[in-house]
Amino acid sequence: MEATFLMNNLWIVVCTILVLLMQGGFILLEAGSTRMKNAGHIAGKTVFTVGIVSVVFWAVGYGLIYGEGNAIIGMSNFFYGDATTMGEGLAGSVDFLFQLAFAAIAMTIAFGGFAERAKLVAYVIFAILFSVLIYPVIAHWIWGGGWLAEHGKQDFAGSTVVHLTGAMAALAATIILKPRIGKYNKDGSSNEIAGHNQVFTALGVLILWVGWFGFNAGSTFGVADAFFGFVALNTQLAAGAGAIGAMLMVWAVTGKADVPTTLNGALAGLVAITASCAFVEPWAAVVIGLVGGAFVFFSMRFFDKRRIDDPIFALSVHGTVGVWGTLSNGLFATPELATVGRPGLFYGGGFEQLGVQILGVVSCGVYAFIVSFIILKVMDKTMGGIRVTEEEEIMGLDISEHGGYGYPENLTPPQSKSGA
Amino acid sequence: MFTTYNELKQWREETLESVAGDHFQLNAFHDQLIYQTVALAKDKVESEQGSPPAPFAFFLMGSAGRYEQSVWSDQDHGILFEGDNQEYFLRLGSEISDGLAVVGYEYCEGDVMASNPLWCQSYHSFEKQTLDWLNEASWQTMRHFSILFDSRVLVGEAEYLLALKQRIFKALQEEPRLMSRFIDNVNYIKKGIGVFGQLLPEQQGEKRGTIQLKQTAYFPYVNALRILALFQGVSSPSTISRFEQLAGTYPSIAEYEKDFRELLDFRLRFRKEASSYEMVHLLPLECLSKHDKQQLKRLIKRGQSLFSAAKSIVKEERMV
Repeated sequence: MEATFLMNNLWIVVCTILVLLMQGGFILLEAGSTRMKNAGHIAGKTVFTVGIVSVVFWAVGYGLIYGEGNAIIGMSNFFYGDATTMGEGLAGSVDFLFQLAFAAIAMTIAFGGFAERAKLVAYVIFAILFSVLIYPVIAHWIWGGGWLAEHGKQDFAGSTVVHLTGAMAALAATIILKPRIGKYNKDGSSNEIAGHNQVFTALGVLILWVGWFGFNAGSTFGVADAFFGFVALNTQLAAGAGAIGAMLMVWAVTGKADVPTTLNGALAGLVAITASCAFVEPWAAVVIGLVGGAFVFFSMRFFDKRRIDDPIFALSVHGTVGVWGTLSNGLFATPELATVGRPGLFYGGGFEQLGVQILGVVSCGVYAFIVSFIILKVMDKTMGGIRVTEEEEIMGLDISEHGGYGYPENLTPPQSKSGA
Repeated sequence: MFTTYNELKQWREETLESVAGDHFQLNAFHDQLIYQTVALAKDKVESEQGSPPAPFAFFLMGSAGRYEQSVWSDQDHGILFEGDNQEYFLRLGSEISDGLAVVGYEYCEGDVMASNPLWCQSYHSFEKQTLDWLNEASWQTMRHFSILFDSRVLVGEAEYLLALKQRIFKALQEEPRLMSRFIDNVNYIKKGIGVFGQLLPEQQGEKRGTIQLKQTAYFPYVNALRILALFQGVSSPSTISRFEQLAGTYPSIAEYEKDFRELLDFRLRFRKEASSYEMVHLLPLECLSKHDKQQLKRLIKRGQSLFSAAKSIVKEERMV
């Protein structure tokens, strides 16, 4: 067998593992950003829903995206099992696994909007429906030969497909679930419900950052010309610039070098460069990251003021900044690097690419939001609500949904006996 | 005259508004109210337990000690006495603080009240405690000391506090390193102005949109003048009288006195309407005109620059 073929496959398996590792980043990020009484639940549901996504993706998801079909949806290759297939110069199984890991990331982002108040059963049902009706449709449109694929939309690693889709589902969820108890006062002012462990959050961000090399650099699908190194370089620069942009902005405006905002800034840099990492020069990656970091701060304040309670800032990090990242191609894509679509505005490409990017963002965003909203609304009506009761929310989802605490020593119910 | 605390409370409610526009009238009125409350408390304890068994001094600390109370204020006070009669004076202290609470002065959260044995002692044990505080020089004991130093006797023997302060100045001369502990203890100033020159209000919760006037604007002036008073052996507690007494030694510091007076007026202008002690230090930005905001920013900046100037004086002169 040819050496390049083997190296391509090996590289993508490594990247698959890195992208799967990002779930570990989300576990720490989400658990650290929320309260102790929900920590076990947040961690456990992440692993569990990755399980659901994996099986659903195998049964129908992959086929809906990459199967033979039309401009809207694919309709073959269900219950994937043909190991002899080849796709994109890779063994079919390798390609399949890499795609599965991406679907699981979109799902986990969407569940950010559920944090600290949704019933466990709502996670289960929405995981299935999201993985059948939402993610595969958008992935097919852009990656699976659908109507946006032929359009020249530049979304290298999935700023729209993964991040925006997840964030739009999260937005629908936060609106339907409503704010957590104690988040808003009667006069409309909001309270900070601080996460219980900033160290977890920071470590979660760093794991995501490392995993992102699989996400972005792996989206080269091969090792030819070592182009993945260039993609990784842009990724690193944008993440760093994002952290800097966010901390400078929050410090300048509020006077405080706020840690959660800074951490979100690093993630914002990563999200922002996801679409453009293969199409822009390193200096532009720094600008895209800085702007993403600054945007995330303003976006967090925007949602907070609109009484949209987003405990782990999924809407701002993946939504607002996902949009910025996708549009940034329309500004910064260079003629040499724009192997898909056209150069950006700053490289003499005019507004054409920007227009294509806007069309992609709007159509995908609207689809993901509306379908998520309808699904969740129907679930809310038919399941007697997708939110836990007030009592359950106060006692915490660890005990109400799972019957045990993530931190048992610290949160033992008062009636239980302890020691002699 | 007054026979119950409730009558005093009523007097407070009837009179406060007419004096709230003027810093000196307001503080003279607070003194009157507290004096009358103490007199009632003293009568009550005398009727239960007889006359005070020894000479004593009831003294005020904190903002009352500095003659710098706003409309609402909490209690900070203590009692010093001769000999070994703590039980009697603790009872008096409790009666006074209960009385003041009825009249409209919140109990002190930090329990700096004559009902607490820490602040109700014989002169000799209190002097020893004060020197122990200085000797330990921890964050907590330095805080106690700063509260104590802004003090004046309202009822009783004025010389107790004067003697105590002379003893303090002597201890400071023997241990100059304490000056840098005082500075460290108050060195953190809550940021009031951002990098774009904008005011920085609270971001979250019910206090959102308000400026914490006490921490951002007022404390730097008060702390700067306390540091210099300790350094130069000035025993008067009020910031304005400290300015006056230090003017000859430090003409550059004297320039800030008018800013401080302006800040006191500014505070009263906006806090006359405050309905509780909670609200008195929180200034909602939305009540301020553009001109008010400019004025507040200038006063905050002047306070910070005064605090830096005071620190430099202490550092430089100690080097010599």
